Order: sequence, then C-alpha cells, then structure tokens
Amino acid sequence: MTEKPTPDRVVIDRTFDAPATLVWAMWTDPEQFAAWYGPNGATIPVAELDVRVGGRRRVCMEMPTPDGEMRMWFQGEHTVVEPHRLLVYTERVTDEAGAPAHGDLTEVRVELDQAGSRTRMVMSHLGIPEGSPGAVGWQMALDKLEAKLSGS
Amino acid sequence: MDEEQLTDTFVALANSTRRAILGRLALGAATVSEIAEPFDVGLPAISKHLTVLERAGLVQRGRNAKFRPCTLDASPIRDVASWADQFRPVWEERFDRMEQHLQQLQTTDRESAP
Repeated sequence: MTEKPTPDRVVIDRTFDAPATLVWAMWTDPEQFAAWYGPNGATIPVAELDVRVGGRRRVCMEMPTPDGEMRMWFQGEHTVVEPHRLLVYTERVTDEAGAPAHGDLTEVRVELDQAGSRTRMVMSHLGIPEGSPGAVGWQMALDKLEAKLSGS
Repeated sequence: MDEEQLTDTFVALANSTRRAILGRLALGAATVSEIAEPFDVGLPAISKHLTVLERAGLVQRGRNAKFRPCTLDASPIRDVASWADQFRPVWEERFDRMEQHLQQLQTTDRESAP
C-alpha cells in the first residue's frame, strides 16, 4: 500500500505522540494546517480546505524576499477522504485565480495508523510531470542552466 | 540542503537577469562592471542581483582583490535537480513543526482540563 521513495516521490514515515483524530485535524482544519505548513519565516494567510472527495483546496503562502513579500498559491482537489485514516489530494502552484503556474501537478497522500496513544503517519508526495507543460519547462530550464553552468 | 538555502536558490533563479548573470559567469570570473556591461540597468541593480546570488551560494566574490571578481558555484543547482530531493527537506521541517504544534496543543489541553 505504501509507496517506495523514487526520484519523483518523497516518502516520509513519522510517528507522533498524538491520536489519529488530532493528526487528521493537522491536515484538514485550516487553522491547524496553517500552524505548521508554512516554512520558517512564512505565513499561511489563506487556507481553504473543502475536505470531501472532489472538494477544492486553496492555500496561500506568504514569505519575505529581498524584493518584498512573495505570495505563492497552491490549489488542488481532494481525491480520497477516509477520516482519520487516509487523505489524498492533488496540488499545483497557481496564480491567485487558480490558473496553473510553473511547477508539477503533484499528489500528496497521507496514511494514518493509530496504535495506542501514538499515530504513525506515512506521507508520500508524488510529482506528476505528464500533461504539465509548465513542469517540464521548469525542469528543462534547470537542466539547461545546469548544463550551461557546468560548461557542457 | 536545508529549506532556507533551497528557498534562496529558487528565489535567485527566478529572475532572468540573474540567470543571465550566471550564464556570463559560466564563461569565467568577472568584475561587477564587466557583468553589468551588457545590461541596461545600472551597477547598483546588478550589485543587488549579485547579493541575491551570493546569498544562494551560486556566486562567490573575491575578498581581497580591488575589484572583487565574481566566480560561479553551480553546486546549489545540482542540489535542486531531483524533484524528491527538492521536497524532502521541506516536508521534514514541516513535520518537525507539526510535532511541536501537536505537543503544544496537547499540553494546553491537559493544563486547561479540570
């Protein structure tokens, strides 16, 4: 059931000293989600999470840059919702209105398994470059740049 | 590579002038005025871009030489080349914060319980 790490997939296995209901809330309650999701120094001014199959998610991350605040939007859809057990959603970088920007369409899968008062969480985050011209473009740009910089 | 460095690298690369500067430095070390020459913007703007590149570890500046020539270090770009490698440290840090947040929540719950 749990996928293996590959170059296109991050898999992280963690056990938290908390019940599955609380870990589930970390992913599904906007207030809780905003408390941990943003990188250090960043904030999550918008987290709209319609947690049901087909429900949209819309997250804004704001971080300071040398040229002022940078706002990034992430939008997607929940595809599997089994409360306290399994959550799957898709996500991509978009503009504020939801139009795809650069970057892959990705899928995040969160499996929870409570044992006693602890909960094991296996998260996998998969990049789906197919059908995503922006993603390919970005990767190609990086590849080209790296080739150029390494003088080949 | 930690998340802050990763962010710095992406911020540094997300600008066509800075990518052009890296392209120029791929040909060899150059002073700020040599780098600025083909661009329409002035020296202060180029200096600002170089500072961003330097913070990301993509450019190193000589300390002692009078004109502080800039040289290229492409290793941060190789670090973001793999999709999974790029996201793993981001998630690891997020889950560190999730763990702290869970602890705080449960401590507060216990303290506020009668």
